[in-house]
Amino acid sequence: MTMTIPQSAGPAIEAHGLRKVFGQIAAVDGIDLAFPAGRIYGLLGPNGSGKTTLIRLMAGLAVPTAGSVSVLGTRVPSRPLLARIGYMTQSDGLYAELSVWENLSFFAAMSGQRDPSALAEILEIVELGDRRGTPIVELSGGMRRRLSLACALVHRPPVVFLDEPTVGVDPVLRYQLWDHFRRLATAGTTLVVSSHVMDEGDRCDELVLIRSGRVLASGSGSEIRQRAGTTDLASAFLKLSGVPTDPAAVPVAEPIESDSE
Amino acid sequence: MSGRRILAIARRIAQQFRRDRRSLALLIVAPLAVLALLGSVIRDEKPLETRIGFVAPGGPAGAPIVAGLSTAATEAGLTVVDAGPDAASGRAAVQEGRADIVIVLPESLAARPLTVQVITLGESPADDAARIQAAAGLIERVGTQGLELAIEHETIYGSPTADALDTFAPALIGFFGFFFVFVLTGISFLRERTGGTLERLLATPVRRSEIVTGYSAGFGFFATIQVALIMVFALGSLTVPPLGPFGGFEIGLGIANAGSPLLAFLVIFLTALGAVNLAIFLSTYARTELQILEFIPIVIVPQALLAGVFWSVDSLPDPLQVVAHLLPMTYAIEGLRSVLLRGADLSDPTLRLDIAFLAGAAILFVTLAGATIRREVA
Repeated sequence: MTMTIPQSAGPAIEAHGLRKVFGQIAAVDGIDLAFPAGRIYGLLGPNGSGKTTLIRLMAGLAVPTAGSVSVLGTRVPSRPLLARIGYMTQSDGLYAELSVWENLSFFAAMSGQRDPSALAEILEIVELGDRRGTPIVELSGGMRRRLSLACALVHRPPVVFLDEPTVGVDPVLRYQLWDHFRRLATAGTTLVVSSHVMDEGDRCDELVLIRSGRVLASGSGSEIRQRAGTTDLASAFLKLSGVPTDPAAVPVAEPIESDSE
Repeated sequence: MSGRRILAIARRIAQQFRRDRRSLALLIVAPLAVLALLGSVIRDEKPLETRIGFVAPGGPAGAPIVAGLSTAATEAGLTVVDAGPDAASGRAAVQEGRADIVIVLPESLAARPLTVQVITLGESPADDAARIQAAAGLIERVGTQGLELAIEHETIYGSPTADALDTFAPALIGFFGFFFVFVLTGISFLRERTGGTLERLLATPVRRSEIVTGYSAGFGFFATIQVALIMVFALGSLTVPPLGPFGGFEIGLGIANAGSPLLAFLVIFLTALGAVNLAIFLSTYARTELQILEFIPIVIVPQALLAGVFWSVDSLPDPLQVVAHLLPMTYAIEGLRSVLLRGADLSDPTLRLDIAFLAGAAILFVTLAGATIRREVA
């Protein structure tokens, strides 16, 4: 079946007054976004700040309590739109009993990718070409993240949501992954990458700092640092959050990790 | 051995139970509930309603014996019905459901002992055994009045020499067809939900109906193989001749099969389809694999007790009969018994009802399963 998604000259992703409430807690609390295509957008914030919920709302996996989202000019949720979205979950989301190739083939089939060369190509990109027959249980954590990424990209989607893609990934592979994200963006793909590692922010074209479901600040890394008057994003985040940056004066802070761990 | 560490482990288990109230409740409530159910099934078992007919083909000479048996039957609380003049009419009365048991006296009343023929349906040996026991009681009472009587048992369906396995086989085929598929699907789908694969799956253009149908087909395939093997083993009998130092042996149970194995297969397939989708639906309410296993006393055990595996549904107390008639396994077992023991085909209204109920249950569970697979899973 051929699915037709209307092309839009406007932003690749657009959200207005987006709000998602779970019981008494607003996980996303009135967010407006407009992401032009072909760039990398970083959603930065501590654990529990609402990044995953925001990604799920944008991907159409959660229904907003209020507000709306459009992706590629189509109002979300839209089942046909999902053929043009790549989504990497925070957990690996792989079938442990299956091999690398079987997992990739399955998600390719689900996404409508029928070209076997696309599978081989993405496996080479994530450097798992020689692991086709390896069962998932025998892969290292980093290899699983790479395969998980491959499953999200196998159908060459124009919009990709990556939820904490570099968690548990060593610095070398992290560098390679970001290098690949950049190449995808250069080729016109719009990437939304969530992370709680502030140092990864500078690899994005634009950042959205989130805390308690609200946008704290947005712009490029240098713009945000300049606005906060700090030299690094972690300090900028804390300052913009109203948390004292003097460690001795910090009573309780949500975990903000640095890449230098 | 460190007492402190042992205590810490025991305390941790208690803490886990305290936070997993369902497991705690099941640990305490389930055995009591199952025992109460079992107690009610056994102690409140209703005496079987028995309609008995007497046939004296030898003419008026047998009339006093029939009169004696009829009086004894009425005194014993049995309902005496007309079974016609001969053995053929007696068989027809049982087959058409007008009588549960018919006693046919021999044409010649001179022989000693006087051998009487007892005709039952043969569909439920447990019921037959209870009724034959009642009939034997009548014959004994009449026998004490000077007659020496012997009993010859004939069944309309199956064989009067059928053993317990012949009775249980259809029930066990139905039970296994449901049980294993239910547990395996439940655990498998729970892993989909908790492992992130379902969320990833739902981020593709897949339809919910495609997931449910795919699951039904995937598990249905293995359920088909399982049921086919069970049926071949249960119904078939293959004698392997001696070979060299190895003696000959038999494979298969050789259980009597009066009907179409394909029809029996349809019954069990619908049962398994319902089990797959009921498991998908219930997996929504489990967070761990242990909690899937906890559905066994809730979903499987009541069906094992009430659906006619061990006790006839008709002998259950009235409230439990109502429950039994809502359980898919009741219809699966009844359908399988109808086909395998009675040789029923699709012209049989009882079998049609069984198949219709199982198909309806499967559709209901497919709908419920589909409703629980939402793109919004958080």
